[in-house]
Amino acid sequence: MSPNQGVHPAPVQSPRARLTVRVVGIAAAVGVALTVWLGLWVTPPDQVQGNLVRLVYLHPGVAWVALYLAFGLAAVASLLYLWPRTRSLFWDRLAAAAVEVGVVFNVCTLISGSIWGKPTWGVYWAWDARLTSTAVLLVLFLGYLALRRVPAEPEVRAKRSAFVALFASVDVPIVHFSVLWWKTLHQGATVLNPDLSPTIHGSMAWTLLLSFVALSLVFVWMLLVRYRIGVLEDWLGSGELDVALRERQAEGMIDDEDEAA
Amino acid sequence: MGYVVAGYSIVLSILFLYGVQLAWRRRRLTRAVERVAASEVGHDGQAGGR
Repeated sequence: MSPNQGVHPAPVQSPRARLTVRVVGIAAAVGVALTVWLGLWVTPPDQVQGNLVRLVYLHPGVAWVALYLAFGLAAVASLLYLWPRTRSLFWDRLAAAAVEVGVVFNVCTLISGSIWGKPTWGVYWAWDARLTSTAVLLVLFLGYLALRRVPAEPEVRAKRSAFVALFASVDVPIVHFSVLWWKTLHQGATVLNPDLSPTIHGSMAWTLLLSFVALSLVFVWMLLVRYRIGVLEDWLGSGELDVALRERQAEGMIDDEDEAA
Repeated sequence: MGYVVAGYSIVLSILFLYGVQLAWRRRRLTRAVERVAASEVGHDGQAGGR
């Protein structure tokens, strides 16, 4: 008998799910292309920042995805896994997928911020509250990904990963409010400020909004693909575990036969 | 403008490469699952013939 037979049927993706992933992927690519075109060629330079304002169509978008979409989703999914009524490995896989994609966007946030910081502040990096708390967030979620690689039963891994994700997520509001709580080099929020009155207008505002939508679509596409990878890995992994267990059982039976003989 | 071009190039390259890596991982794992599922069908056929 083969490892997965009768235990877990092979995870087959429905044609509708495949189509959804494809449509989201195409929409994301078109959205990013439009953002780049508007951001680099159509929108005017800023009166104060000049052409550097064009990085604003990239940096807040990737930060939005990393902090609020990815790590926010990871926190909610982890909470739903720990809640006994909603406990399911679906939430664990979703959290893992969100964190991996979020880490990539977090790296992009730090890089794009540093590139904007050099001509604006004169340095690539400053131990500013916003920058430091964002870097701490990256380290915390890298720890989460490292923890997931420690061999364990899926339920054990899911439980301890969920606790770590919730612990790490405490840093998300710290990053968000850092510009209000401490004196920082980093400017305050342009859109999500306490008054909820955006300080950007016209084609610049529309391009910024488009960048948020486009990068959110990129996140959704990556999340769907990464989730699917988790499903396939778990299925193959469970098969390998079954094979190992059967091999051990077979060895035990041979030993028993030898002793009886 | 050099910083702007560098920022866009680096960030979009990272996202593109990660996306390609995800698609490649999914394809590789899908093929592996298909191989295992196909071998199971083979085992079933043998078991049924005995």
